[in-house]
Order: sequence, then structure tokens, then C-alpha cells
Amino acid sequence: MNSKVMDLKKIEVWDGNMAASQAFRQADVDVVAAYPITPSTPVVENYATFEANGYIDGEFVMVESEHAAMSACVGAAAAGGRVATATSSQGFALMVEVLYQASGMRLPIVLAQVNRALAAPLNVNGDHSDMYLGRDSGWINVSTFSPQEVYDLTLCAFRIAEHLDVRIPVNINQDGFMSSHTAQNIRTLDDKTACDFIGPYKAVNAMLDFSKPVTHGVQTEEDWHFEHKAKQHDAMMRSRKVIDEVFAEFKELTGREYKAVESYGMEDAEVAIVAFGTTYETARIVVDNLKKEGIKAGIISPRIFRPFPLEDIAAQLQNVKAIACMDRSAPGGTVGALYNEIAGALYNSPARPVLSNVIYGLGGRDMTVSTLTEIYKDLVKEAASGKLNGTIQRFVGVRGPELNYYNA
Amino acid sequence: MSGNKVIKNLKSFSTAAERFEGSHVLCPGCAHSIIVREILNATNDNLVVSASTGCLEVCTAIYPHTSWDCSWIHIGFENSSTAVAGAEAMNKALRKKGRIGSDVPEPKFVAFGGDGATFDIGFQWLSGCFERGHDMMYVCLDNEVYANTGGQRSSATPIGASATTSPAGSTSYGEKQNKKDIIQIMAAHGSPYVAQVAPNKWKDMIKKIHRGFDTKGPVYINAMSACTTEWKFAPHETIEVSDLATDSLVFPLYEIIDGTELNITYRPKNIVPVRDYLGAQPRFKHLFKPEYEYLIKEWQERVDAYWVYLQRREEARV
Amino acid sequence: MSKSIKDMGWDELVQGAALFSFEGEVDYEMTQVQPEDRNYAETNSRNAYVGDWRVEKPVFNKDFCIDCQFCWIFCPDTSIIARDKKMIGVDMDHCKGCGICVEVCPTNPKSLLMFNENTDNEEALTQWPEKSEEKGE
Repeated sequence: MNSKVMDLKKIEVWDGNMAASQAFRQADVDVVAAYPITPSTPVVENYATFEANGYIDGEFVMVESEHAAMSACVGAAAAGGRVATATSSQGFALMVEVLYQASGMRLPIVLAQVNRALAAPLNVNGDHSDMYLGRDSGWINVSTFSPQEVYDLTLCAFRIAEHLDVRIPVNINQDGFMSSHTAQNIRTLDDKTACDFIGPYKAVNAMLDFSKPVTHGVQTEEDWHFEHKAKQHDAMMRSRKVIDEVFAEFKELTGREYKAVESYGMEDAEVAIVAFGTTYETARIVVDNLKKEGIKAGIISPRIFRPFPLEDIAAQLQNVKAIACMDRSAPGGTVGALYNEIAGALYNSPARPVLSNVIYGLGGRDMTVSTLTEIYKDLVKEAASGKLNGTIQRFVGVRGPELNYYNA
Repeated sequence: MSGNKVIKNLKSFSTAAERFEGSHVLCPGCAHSIIVREILNATNDNLVVSASTGCLEVCTAIYPHTSWDCSWIHIGFENSSTAVAGAEAMNKALRKKGRIGSDVPEPKFVAFGGDGATFDIGFQWLSGCFERGHDMMYVCLDNEVYANTGGQRSSATPIGASATTSPAGSTSYGEKQNKKDIIQIMAAHGSPYVAQVAPNKWKDMIKKIHRGFDTKGPVYINAMSACTTEWKFAPHETIEVSDLATDSLVFPLYEIIDGTELNITYRPKNIVPVRDYLGAQPRFKHLFKPEYEYLIKEWQERVDAYWVYLQRREEARV
Repeated sequence: MSKSIKDMGWDELVQGAALFSFEGEVDYEMTQVQPEDRNYAETNSRNAYVGDWRVEKPVFNKDFCIDCQFCWIFCPDTSIIARDKKMIGVDMDHCKGCGICVEVCPTNPKSLLMFNENTDNEEALTQWPEKSEEKGE
């Protein structure tokens, strides 16, 4: 715990960025190496302000680019301590190379990512294209839906990343502006409780342990590479157990329950959407409204995007008749990631719902209650007829002729 | 034990217990490993070392073997400097928080990078580390080319050198750009100590390495690394070619303290013509064709002018 | 006896492809302990062999050696064994036969000369040249 304690109120009014920075502060991070980029800049600015007022015992290094930020984080993590940083969009894209290196070297690092569209065109607003870019980078990838969740799950992230059975870096995503710059009531933990929940850092193969000189970041040839990547994949898959355990402990501590697959209204849902981020909360309102009309609607989200909870989400979708997989990322010439992953999950199960792909909300385009309601009403038609209304993929919310792709 | 190794002469230096092991897969005759051995043997301190993607990294850490008897990290091509800076920051943090006791002697942080990593792709990273003032030493292993991938040009490749992406041909004499003056650039960052060294002048190198280790803050060392494979001389000629480099003043050995105090640290007894240096390396052999003789003349003029400049700065103490 | 890394499956490897230089803990001052007294890990390159890179090998003739240690400092392969300020010999497991040691040897005749890899060392010593009259040889 940092030596200077900040006395928080039981309920603070924080936006998603402040939630992330407070979680970093309470986690007593040893090295934060970071670079500013909209809309994650305030995470770093808040942390800098904490440091300037004596609340941070660790080192805070403002580097010259995001690639350098993650590079310094990797060097610091390999040296043997708790490390974190924050970024978005272009910055995330710039550090992508190092993300793979960090996970390949099995270094616990926490990244507070504030999701923002990827250029071109340049856009500072929230969508998930940067989150999707990091899909294969070997990081544990978590979606949050509100500032409270950012706070809670960032604290959990340190615990998960540093667990001796895991040692994988963790990425906590939140929607740019919609979460990062939107303030809400946050139920807080006091500094000591938060820090104790995370626990002390446990060093593994630390460079600063001179009794055991270690070489990190080797080169492999075709005779060794596959074994290491296999081992890395295995660790990622088995981390799910630790994630569930940490969530269970967090629930005991706070009463707030987090799951690898979040769902609302899914107990008897006949129609459902799958989505990440703040859309989940909008959908909860729509689900409640529709249920009043007698429509059995639900919302489901693979909160833990990686390791992908394939079995769990397939199980929860077995009785749903029509599903729209909503991707908030430019699909780049195919169906969206959520469509692919849900379809993949369902294929080896008996369920054969009508499955469609909605591309929405790019560059911060709002997804409203009324638009979502229309999407659900379409799903109701599809559930009744047992087939797609139109094409597999459509864009929703774009001015101009409707974009439709792929016939079933 | 910590601190610089006391080295009275080469015999006493030879008592060093090596921390860079053999059976790495660097080329026979490679100057990189001569340089690394000299540096690592110069200190008794604990070390945290990094290397950029390149010959040194690739050849000394191919799974399942490591040639490093100290902690070592490679991340990528650009960022050996930042890797070590991150480790240096962690060291500071852990000591501040009491997780590393003050009884544990401070380690030295050393980053290695080739000229490709240093002058080109990793330049921003290096610049950032120096601007932030991390307590570290950065050693550029300067063989004037992207050697590990087969000899492509870098911004350290000198005029007239034939590299695979700036090859000599019927209408070209090879590299057209002048070598970037990295030492002045790093001095201008406010580094408290920058210097050029060469492995053949081991006494000069050790003195500078010691000074670098004794200096707080970011230290830049440019180490001339005569590359048998890419400069295309025979493996046993490495020291001979290095001697030509230092004695022709193509690689003048000097240091700059606090950005202003320039000291020339090696004055050859007999200055060798640049022509002899160029003639020893087939990467320059096309310059000896009659139509390119003028380039050899320009080479000599450039080296002479720079030598005059160095002497003037040394005199003027600026 | 722990398993050789060559026989390990993915599940037995150190995570992150990290490599240790030594077995167990280093509880001694490494800079004060010569390699023969250290506990190297299997994964230290010192335990690998590059002697088969050679086409020629250096043969050491200690009759002429003045222990100047030029060969020691300029060997790229840590293959000149120097102990107590004396040149002891060449480490043939790690020597790649580059010939730098021969080039830099200042004695006349040289104390190190290159011979065909298949030459017997004792045989080579009997073929040692006489002192050369030429300057700079």
C-alpha cells in the first residue's frame, strides 16, 4: 500500500478514467510507464496528479510513445515488480508488437484500455476496433460496461495477472467517452482493503534477482517455437479457473458479482443480442421494456473475451431462437468477430438459432434504446419465421442506402 | 564485490572471470563479442543487460542456450534502451519501497544495440531514454549496416559503401548519404558522457567504460565493430582492420563530457591514409575504379575536416 | 538427475521461454569465481560445442609465449584460457578457428599458429617456424 493514504468516500463520483487511475493507485503499482492519448489521457493525468501530491510510492515514467510505454513496462515487469499502463486506439496499435512480446514472455502487466476507433479517418470517439486489434495478442481481455466495473475489474486484473498459475498480462477495456468520461456513483474500497485484496507482488524469474541470472526474450527456431506458444495458449486457457476464483472472492468482499459470461434476461430469452461495453447497459433497459410487452428478450456478453468462454456462452444460447451478434468494429471484409466466435461456439452444439451480424456504433455513433428496440423487433420476426429477415450482415445507423452482405 | 574492476595492465585484466560465454553463434572473428567481453569484464557489478534484435541478440540467446551469465532481456528491434530503462525504473521503485535492501549493491544497466537499432528504428526510444535521464549505459555496436539480416544499409552506412539495399552497380557507387553523427546527437541530449571506442584500443575502451559506469545518468558509447562478414575481410583480420579504422581517423576516439568538454583520447603516432582503410574492405572495392577515385579523395577530405573540427573543439573547451 | 531439456515437452519448459544461466542459486561472487568452479545450467551456451565450425585450428606453443594476453582479450569466443596472468591454452570446444589470436600474437616466432584441423598438435609443434628476420612479421 502506498504510504500516503487517500481517504475515499464510500461512494465517489468518478468517470471511467478516474476509476482506472484510482485502481492503479490503490494497487500500489511499482512502475507506471505511459503516454497520453485521447480518451485515456486522464488515466495518466490523474495518476500524475496523485504522484505530484505524494500518493504514489512507485515510479511514474512519462515516455515518448506508446510503444515505448509498453516496452518500458515489459522491462520493468521482467525486472520484477507490479506494472501498469493505459492507452487507446492509435497508441494501442503502435504498441501491438510489444503486446505479443509481453504475453510471450509471460509478464504480468495491466493495461487500462479506453476503446476508441482506429484511423483512418482519425476519430477519437468510442468503438471497439482497438479492442479487436489485440484479440490474438495473448492478453487476457476483459470488457467492462460502466465506470464501477472499470474500478472493480482493474483491481481484479492485478490479482489475475500476477497469479502464479497465470502470469499473463491483462487488458481491461472500457468504451471511450461513453464510459471513460461519464461519471457515476462508484462504490469504493478503502486503500488498505483494495491493496490487500490484490496482495503483494510475487516475483518470478526476476532480472533483479542476481542469485538467479535469467535470460528473457530468446529467439527460437522451428524446433522450439511451437512448444512455447502451445504452453502459452494452455496457460491462457487454464487462467479461466483463476479468473472465476478471483471473481468469487471479489463477490465475497463487495457483494458485486462478475462472470465470464454476463447475461440479463437470458433465463427464458427467445431473442438475444451479443455485445460488449456500454451497449450491454442500454440493452438491459430495452430488455426490461420488451419483457413488459411480453417479448422474451435477453442480452448476453462474453465479458471475458479472452480466454473465450466458448462452452459457457454456447450453453446459455441453446434455447434462443434468434440472435444478433453486434460488433462495434469495422469488420474489414467479413462478418464481425462476435458473429464468428458465437457461430463457432454454437456450431458444435445442437442449437441452430437464426444468427445475424450487426455492425454498429463506429466512431462513437450512438446506439440508442429505440434503435436497439428495432433490432430486437427484427429478431422477434426471425424467431417466428425461423429464418433471416435479410442478409447475414447489416450495418445499422448509417446514413444512405442500407449495407447488406452475405446471403444465407 | 562491486564497482569497476581495477585493471593495471592487460595481464591483470586477464584474471577477469568471464560473464560472456563461448559457443554463441556469432561469426568467427566477430568484433561484437570482443567488445561485449571487454565491457562485461571491466566491472564487478551485478548487471542487467539488454540487446536489440540483431546479431548480438540472435546469436547469444537462441533457445535453448544463453551466453549471458547475467540477467538479460531482449524485447524487439527498437527498444533495448527502453527495456533497460524500465528495469532501471523498477530498481528505483523497489529500493524506494524497501523491497530491495540498501545493502544490495546497485547493479549496472547496459543496453546493447546495433547501428540499425540505434541510428534508425530505435532512435526515438534511445532519445526518450536519454531525455528522461535514466541511469544507464547504451552501447551501439556500430558495424555500419544491418548485418544480421544480410547487410542492408542503415543511416550509419558511410558514403560509398556497398550494402545490399544500396549496392554498387554499373550506375551506382553504393551508399549516397553521409553517416549520421550519432555522438554529437547524443551529446546534444545533455548526456553527461558520450564516447567513441574501438575494441582494438582496449585500454582506451576500458577507461571510457569505467568512466561511463562511474557517471550517473544516461551514457552513450559508440563502439566501432569491424564486421568480417559485411565489410568482407577475412575473419582473422578484425583487429588489423580496426587498427586501420582508428589510425586513419575514420573512427576517431574521443569523448564529450556534459555535452561541451570534448577530449580526443587517441592520437595515432602515424596517421594512416583513408585509402588504406578503404582498401582493406571489399565493401569499398568499387571505389578504386577510376571513375570513383574522386570519392576516395572526398573521403580523405571529410575525415581530415572532422579531425580538425575535433581538435578545435578540444582546444576551445566548448 | 533432472531431465534434459531436449527430452522435455511443452508442459515441462520454463514459461516465457526463459533460460537460466546456472543451476540453482548463485551464492558466490561470480566475478571472482572462474568458470571451472561455477555450476552452469545445461542451457548455458558454455555447454554447447562449436569446435566443428573449424577448418583450421590454433596450436599453442608455450615455449615462445610471453603471457602478454593479446590473444585473451581479442578472442571473440572466450576461448583463450588465461589463469593467474598466464596463457594456459585454447578451449577447443569453443574455438571457431577465426585466427585472430595468431594475428595479434606479438612474439617472434608466434606462440600461436594456425594448422589444419586434422593436424596432430604434437606434430604441429615440431613444425614450428624459426624466428623471422622480416620486420613486422
